[in-house]
Amino acid sequence: MLSLDSYSLPNGLRVVLNEDHSAPLVAVNLWYHVGSKNERPGRTGFAHLFEHMLFSGSEHVGNNEHFRYVQSVGGMLNGTTFFDRTNYFETLPSNYLALGLWLEADRMGFFLPALTQEKLDIQREVVKEERRQRYDNVPYGTAFERLLNLAYDSDYSYHWPTIGSMEDLGAASLDDIREFFSTWYRPDNAVLTLIGDFQPDEAKRLIDGYFGPIPAGGSFPKFALERKPLGGERRETFASPVQLPRVYRFYHLPKMGDADWIAGDLLSSVLSGDKASRLERALVLEQQIATDVAAYVLPTEATGMLMLQATANEGVTVEQVEQAVDAELARIARDGVTDDELDRAKTRAEVDFAHQLENYDSRADLIGMMATYFGDPGKVQTWLDPYRAATPAALQRVAAEYLVPDNRVTSLFVPENA
Amino acid sequence: MTIDRSIDRSRAPQPGPPRPYRFPNVERRTLDNGLQLLVAENHNAPLVAVRTLVRSGADHDVAELAGLASLAGELLDEGAGDRDAIRLAEDLGRLGASLGSGADWDASYVSIDSLSRNFDEAFAIFADVNRRPAFPQSSLDRVRGERLMELIQQRDEPASIAAKRFSHLIYGKGTYGNTVIGNPESIARITLDDVRRYYAAHYVPNNSAIVIAGDVHASHAFDAVSRLFADWQRADVPPRPEITPASFESSRIYLIDRPTAVQSEIRVGHLGIARSTADYFAISVMNALLGGVFNSRINLNLRERHGYTYGARSLFAFRRQAGPFVVSAPVRNEVTRESVSEVLGELRRIRSGDVEERELSDTKNYLMGVFPATVQSSSDIAGRLLDMELYDLPHDYFDRYRENIDAVSKEDVERVARKYVDPDRAVIVIVGNAKQIREPLGALGMPIHELDAEGQLIA
Repeated sequence: MLSLDSYSLPNGLRVVLNEDHSAPLVAVNLWYHVGSKNERPGRTGFAHLFEHMLFSGSEHVGNNEHFRYVQSVGGMLNGTTFFDRTNYFETLPSNYLALGLWLEADRMGFFLPALTQEKLDIQREVVKEERRQRYDNVPYGTAFERLLNLAYDSDYSYHWPTIGSMEDLGAASLDDIREFFSTWYRPDNAVLTLIGDFQPDEAKRLIDGYFGPIPAGGSFPKFALERKPLGGERRETFASPVQLPRVYRFYHLPKMGDADWIAGDLLSSVLSGDKASRLERALVLEQQIATDVAAYVLPTEATGMLMLQATANEGVTVEQVEQAVDAELARIARDGVTDDELDRAKTRAEVDFAHQLENYDSRADLIGMMATYFGDPGKVQTWLDPYRAATPAALQRVAAEYLVPDNRVTSLFVPENA
Repeated sequence: MTIDRSIDRSRAPQPGPPRPYRFPNVERRTLDNGLQLLVAENHNAPLVAVRTLVRSGADHDVAELAGLASLAGELLDEGAGDRDAIRLAEDLGRLGASLGSGADWDASYVSIDSLSRNFDEAFAIFADVNRRPAFPQSSLDRVRGERLMELIQQRDEPASIAAKRFSHLIYGKGTYGNTVIGNPESIARITLDDVRRYYAAHYVPNNSAIVIAGDVHASHAFDAVSRLFADWQRADVPPRPEITPASFESSRIYLIDRPTAVQSEIRVGHLGIARSTADYFAISVMNALLGGVFNSRINLNLRERHGYTYGARSLFAFRRQAGPFVVSAPVRNEVTRESVSEVLGELRRIRSGDVEERELSDTKNYLMGVFPATVQSSSDIAGRLLDMELYDLPHDYFDRYRENIDAVSKEDVERVARKYVDPDRAVIVIVGNAKQIREPLGALGMPIHELDAEGQLIA
């Protein structure tokens, strides 16, 4: 059991402390409850562009000084953006706790005075290069984007990926950035998690001193996140510069944490992950029609996704691969999974969780997620309980109910010159 | 809560006194058959990391059979002892253990990560995989096919193309030049006999070490290893083939066309130096300052000042023999020429003796301070122990790491920059949209050789 001390400041900032002296380190982690789902069409990519901006300095922290302050004392840092949240984190030698808190508080409460057009222009170019490097210049790079476009209607906030589009990135203005910051970057929209080698009284004193004076915000914009049903499979065949055809499947699930999502998570372990898993064994080892397969769920708050992909071997058609995938899914829907398969999936969940708890930074991120998505950092203590309680019948039912054509999106990447 | 108004946010707060850190204690034994054992206890999590280091890798591949070491390594989990591949996966899955195996340039590895409560059973399977791999023909055929598919995919991956062509230009067809996984012709030639012979020749105790880090008692771990590995027979190992690097009298550009490219993948570099160099610490500091960290000269230049790239880095690959020195930068097509120019400019500048006190101390403080955060997990600790064994590092290496970095002076950095960074005899590989970038690159005044993706000269 982790020892967690949770409380809130009067301005709404939620704080979670986990004292752990096994290493002379502290992990400082901030989850802001804002992500790409808080953008609107025409302004996609903002949450992520904004994340970049937040490293460019604040009122008391000069340009590029944020990275320098942390790196020059032996700290590691980064931030990431996803649909539902943006996180910022650093791991520092523990005697630099105050530095980490000062930096995070300064950019939470004092960012706007340091915002300049020049910084925006540079980070915009950097983000465009990120898009090119990770999406546009690599084979299959746009697969996830294409699946999202098909899976969600254009007025639903998961319709676009966090990287955004080149056009929208080009359109971002300083006023847009200011508005985004004022709306979402505030203590009452954030969770601060601190893990490691600190004294609680001193940590609380510093947190109160640095974050306490930052005012809460006003009301939040309302978001309707009720997803309309697909109303039948959506599919496409996309000719692109790839060498081997690949089948992508996307299935809608309830949101993360829901019992059926958990069953979906366990099901994805049964389907892929080692040579004994269903898809790998059937498609890669036995039939040898696929060279690789993967199935996984994503940690999404508003609504859930189960992703599946299989790359065809040379000379194998994408239809053959699709049929083979569907045959395996149908088998599970009809005959279920074995007790042994489910036990192994549960064990894998336990091992993965243990690995996440092992390092302070990943542990802090787990806690931030529990606090942000579920309103309860203590959920980290009981997260595995519903996994342990899952039954073969539940997995079979989820396969039969969700992994079906009416609930799926299919994108077939095929070579251009085929 | 009373807000502490004594906190002054107008400047960075002062740190407290540094907290002590020691790398975990490492217990060592050597078995009679020459097998080295290292155990580091770490009871912070219910996990154990077990690694075999075999001190032979793809460096032993001959050109005709490039990819053999890696293929042999990968086949270890295709069946061992009484278990076929499926049964291995099932039994390991029940134990909460995951198995990996493979090779890189200097070494081959077998790894198991397990829940510590199942250490004994997981370790018994691990021993089977190490000692009694089945090497089924059907697995070789299938994995060979997977390798061929991987190579086919790499034809579209600009970073893969750049890396391959760069290595080949520096090292030719010999060691370090082939690519670890080989090429379609060499992979097609590899037989089961080749695999068995490689395994028999190299996976021997006097050429190996077993490293265990995690939630297990050292004495228990040593017992398990002794029981299951003491009868492993030693054998003489073939000598490590030497690299045959090319040298270049002047810098030149090799351009590989990728018509769909929206970015150019740029590699600038040359032969580097082996891990055993006496200048290791000075070069580490110099490289970090030059392009090894986010706040380095090359990254701040290309990313934060110019916005040309999402990230540019420099690297010395310290291997058993001299790996390459290479600067990597993926940049949008329109700024390819400018980016090459900026990179060469930074390589010249670091040799000019302009290292500033602040950037030097920032860099050294980073290297000294970051180490504990990189060895929190048992898996990370095991990785460091593998390095110690592979590179014959002294036993007090991690205890003395900070002071060795601290001792590096401005003069040291400038000396090793002049000695080991050579912008005027560099190979510059660019994978990009030739139609768009060929002419601007011409303005750099260097010869441009165009290659196809297989490295054949076009023009």
